[in-house]
Amino acid sequence: MPSSRIIDLDLSYHRPASLAEALDLLREEGARILAGGTDLLIRIKTGQESPRSLVHLLGIGELQGLEFKGELRIGAATQLFRLEEDELLRETYPAVFEAVKSLGGTQVRNMATLAGNLCNASPSADMATPLLVLEARVEIAGKTPAGKISRRTVPLEAFFIGPGETVLARGELVTAVIIPQPPENSASAFCKIGRVTLDMAKISCSVYVEREGRRIRKVRVAVGGAAPRPVRAAAVEKAMAGRELTRALLAEAAQGVGEDISPITDIRSTREYRREVAAVIIRDTLLAAWERCGGKEIR
Amino acid sequence: MSERMVLKVNGKDYPVEVKANELLLNVLRDRLMLTGTKYGCGIGECGACTVLLNGRAILSCQTLAISAAGQEITTIEGLSLEGKLHPLQEAFLEEGAVQCGFCTPGMILSAKALLDRRNDPSLEEIREALRGNFCRCTGYVSIFRAVQSAARKLSARGGKS
Repeated sequence: MPSSRIIDLDLSYHRPASLAEALDLLREEGARILAGGTDLLIRIKTGQESPRSLVHLLGIGELQGLEFKGELRIGAATQLFRLEEDELLRETYPAVFEAVKSLGGTQVRNMATLAGNLCNASPSADMATPLLVLEARVEIAGKTPAGKISRRTVPLEAFFIGPGETVLARGELVTAVIIPQPPENSASAFCKIGRVTLDMAKISCSVYVEREGRRIRKVRVAVGGAAPRPVRAAAVEKAMAGRELTRALLAEAAQGVGEDISPITDIRSTREYRREVAAVIIRDTLLAAWERCGGKEIR
Repeated sequence: MSERMVLKVNGKDYPVEVKANELLLNVLRDRLMLTGTKYGCGIGECGACTVLLNGRAILSCQTLAISAAGQEITTIEGLSLEGKLHPLQEAFLEEGAVQCGFCTPGMILSAKALLDRRNDPSLEEIREALRGNFCRCTGYVSIFRAVQSAARKLSARGGKS
């Protein structure tokens, strides 16, 4: 009988000090990665998962912290409060900052990790859309049959497969998320709509825009909670790229999101509402990003 | 699997033997008899189980005790000093911020984590810091007032909480 009071499961717990050690432990049958624990422990309590051993990643130095060298590299097990407190992140990647601020309560942000939010692959994961529009890459490590560490990097856009599913193979783990440096005259923004602030988003949106006077030089839009995975809104982007930003263009382009999404009805919202509000949230988020990169009131 | 370890709670070392599946909340309440920390929802929604881990508010119902070995844990029992209430506790009483009291330990610990970093938080910052703590008696207004009052008292004293 599932209980939220105890974990009724025989477990072993490992806290490896190095990546190599963690990868060895993960190869064992029934091994599961534990990071912040804010999702996994609930899944275990509710009987959705029954791992045999937990490999806790918070003791591995390589997976911790933020480092800026032309690009921003964020260690996979970096807890969200550290992103919230980072000045450079706040100024350079405002959409990421806004997504962190919107995620859960203080306690959850003190525990949960960046890669944990991504690897659970919730269609409405708050950290997914800002990183999609910023063209982030995910660095993954595994072990070869010969026991050597192998690494690969995939664009975040290719990382999510469907609800709860990513390209991670058994025995692999995410080591870092890398975000390129955005150019001058660009900005990003994030918005979400939820029932109450602590709840998961009904729908969320991030926009990245490069401005040239009144013209949109480049634009990237991503929507969360409206498809089996967080998705880029290609139709919306195509309708706006290279054009002068006007109210009419924005309204028309945002309506095009219908082609990019396939929302469902669940306990949080209905597919009709999500369709309707997707266009609205895209408009709001784009205007926020536009203003942020110096764009004036549009006609 | 079980492990002998030391839990450092409120500045005191507690040697315990815990199993890997034991939650910090239950070890605090049932083994160390520190029952100020509450079991509310068990799924990370309510914040009644909030304790401080190395000075930051976390959910003890979502934390394995084994993972907290050797780290500094603060529970509500650790706030008063030689029988004298902490300014936050005093302020909660003065402002009538305690109704049924179930959310109070978590509320006060979240507020303490905030005041240890910001000595003059705005109302918005207080609301934000307490976003993960539910009060179902809906006493939020008096709770926010209590935190503001405690902040004033503490900065008048010029010290950390």
